Amino acid sequence: MQQLTISGSPHIHGEESVKKIMYSVVYALIPAVLISIYFFGWDAARVLLTSVIACLFFEWVIQKYLIKGSLTINDGSAVVAGILLAFNVPANLPVPIIIIGALVTIGIAKMSFGGLGKNPFNPALVGRVFLLISFPAQMTTWPVPRPLFAKAVTDAITGPTPLGLVKESLDAGKRLPEIMADPSMPDYIDRLTGNMAGSLGEMSYIALILGGLYLIIKKVIDWQLPVSIILTVFVFAAIFHWIDPMYYVEPSFHLFSGGLMLGAIFMATDMVTSPMNMWGRILYGIAIGLLTIIIRIWGAYPEGISFAILIMNAFTPLINRGFKPRRFGKIVN
Amino acid sequence: MAAKRESTFVNMLSTLLVITLVAAFTLGSVYNLTKEPIALAKQKKLEEAIRMVLPEFERLEAIKIKSDREEDSLQFFVAYQADTVIGVAINTFSNKGFSGEVRIMVSFAPDGTIYNTSVLDHKETPGLGDKMQKNKSDWSNQFNGMNPVSYRLKVVKDGGDVDAITAATISSRAFTDAVQHAYDTFLTYQKEN
Amino acid sequence: MNQIQNLTKGFIKENPVLAQLLGLCPTLGVTTSAFNGLGMGLATTFVLVSSNLVVSLVKNFIPDKVRIPSFIVIIASFVTVVELVMQGFVPALFDQLGLFIPLIVVNCIVLGRAEAFASKNTVASSVIDGLGMGLGFSMALTILGALREILGSGALFGFKFIPGEMILVFVLAPGAFIGLGYLIALTRKLNK
Repeated sequence: MQQLTISGSPHIHGEESVKKIMYSVVYALIPAVLISIYFFGWDAARVLLTSVIACLFFEWVIQKYLIKGSLTINDGSAVVAGILLAFNVPANLPVPIIIIGALVTIGIAKMSFGGLGKNPFNPALVGRVFLLISFPAQMTTWPVPRPLFAKAVTDAITGPTPLGLVKESLDAGKRLPEIMADPSMPDYIDRLTGNMAGSLGEMSYIALILGGLYLIIKKVIDWQLPVSIILTVFVFAAIFHWIDPMYYVEPSFHLFSGGLMLGAIFMATDMVTSPMNMWGRILYGIAIGLLTIIIRIWGAYPEGISFAILIMNAFTPLINRGFKPRRFGKIVN
Repeated sequence: MAAKRESTFVNMLSTLLVITLVAAFTLGSVYNLTKEPIALAKQKKLEEAIRMVLPEFERLEAIKIKSDREEDSLQFFVAYQADTVIGVAINTFSNKGFSGEVRIMVSFAPDGTIYNTSVLDHKETPGLGDKMQKNKSDWSNQFNGMNPVSYRLKVVKDGGDVDAITAATISSRAFTDAVQHAYDTFLTYQKEN
Repeated sequence: MNQIQNLTKGFIKENPVLAQLLGLCPTLGVTTSAFNGLGMGLATTFVLVSSNLVVSLVKNFIPDKVRIPSFIVIIASFVTVVELVMQGFVPALFDQLGLFIPLIVVNCIVLGRAEAFASKNTVASSVIDGLGMGLGFSMALTILGALREILGSGALFGFKFIPGEMILVFVLAPGAFIGLGYLIALTRKLNK
């Protein structure tokens, strides 16, 4: 007997499909991909290709032989996870480690829970944090960018990230004016374009914001969530900076360093793992911003946005309970 | 099957009394039986740690020296060979570890040169901070034969001469700090003698 | 129920860790290596068999209202015996497990078997039940320990067979949760 699909009204078909949404995310990531290849050259392409291919492969193998469901490899979600994972690692990461990261991203964080739409945590971030804890040496050795067409090639291959430099120097007893004058601290122009040490795709803030604007215009993500994260980080950083400008860096430094933009625009807004209701999303964003600042200032790691997003992922079901979307047709008093 | 005893006050009291008495008697006898082996095992562990960091010695003298920066005093083991001091092993620690106290045994030659080190106890991250253990890596060998008069006991990042363990600067700092702690107390000890 | 079933039910079908999800604290805490898992498992097995034996012997002597305190005193005595003996004769193992040995007292498996099985069954069945549950517990801990040791340090029972650095997270706490999750999933599939 043929199975009939029965669903409740309304029967108006939306234009969006998983595939369309995922591919617009891929388009939005293209500027940042190009910038990362410009700054890190062949290394960036190697990390990106390995990550995407490995993610697609694991998605296909697990779907076909373990879950035995319909193949979802074409929906683009594995490509997005692959690019985001690559964006969250240093450009000189060895290939076997990237493949382990892809296996964790797709196998543990996504497929173990039943595949796309059922994972409680952002897969690419689970992959990144897994690698960060497992391979701390490799994951915190940041290559200094060597622009493709630049003439001068220095031998200084690795350097600290701005956040790492600040944290370490503060721990060593230095104060901010001295740290900011350090020759390995990139200036604002370099930081906006992405010409500094750091994870592959987190540094080019202009490219990331462009991609974010595209997604907001296409209505793939809403503006409230990224803005609430960024605003919270700004406000709290400003408060601390006001309390002790020798010890707490200025708020704009927090905005344009580390993975804040990448996290706020592309990771926190993941549809599966963020709350559904707008007010819930704003609360979620504020909490992420707060946790990020707390980890950056007092935590053991210099960067905290990936931990902040994962922690709040765990709270998403609770937030969804508190902020239920109004049922269609329900009368509001 | 015999009927279960009623839960009367007397029954409950007598039952608990009997059970606790039997338990107390058993534990007391087991404690007596194991007291010696436990003390021996502890002694052996300490001696092994001392022997690891000191050259061959004839006689060992254990003293406590007040440390100048901590409330507690540090335990010194002075090794003698035919009535001359050939080295001092110091049970020292630092609270600057990544997850709390790092306790190590450091030994100095009479002229203040570091003879050897050995980790007694720590809670640092496995695979990172635990590279300070001799059986995990030979990182700690860099201290051997160095004299803190000229060898700056600080990691390179803080302007010293100690190469930190990759990705475990904090643990390296704690280890170095424990050595410094021992050296400071060693100087106090030398002044007094 | 025949005695063979009574023994083997603890291995997979009613495995204390993987099917009943009891005693997760020592499971997650000590399984950084196969040897630690096995040591903890055998120590718990000893306590389980002894406490089941004693509880089933005195079950009619103990009034209902004070049975739980009585069981706990019996269990705690055996645990302390294990702790003292281990400290005296296998100090190397005690260094690794020392912190977790006293926790056997509050391990739900031990009190659970005393309450649910030994206080209602004959001496022989209780001992066999304790042995089966203890072996099932040891098996689960050894497998999880082996998994974490291989993936985390490239070794098994201390013998390093993969050179170089491995996936550090498996030696740390998150690795215990990840490994346990997959072992539980596997057990549920086998029990279906």
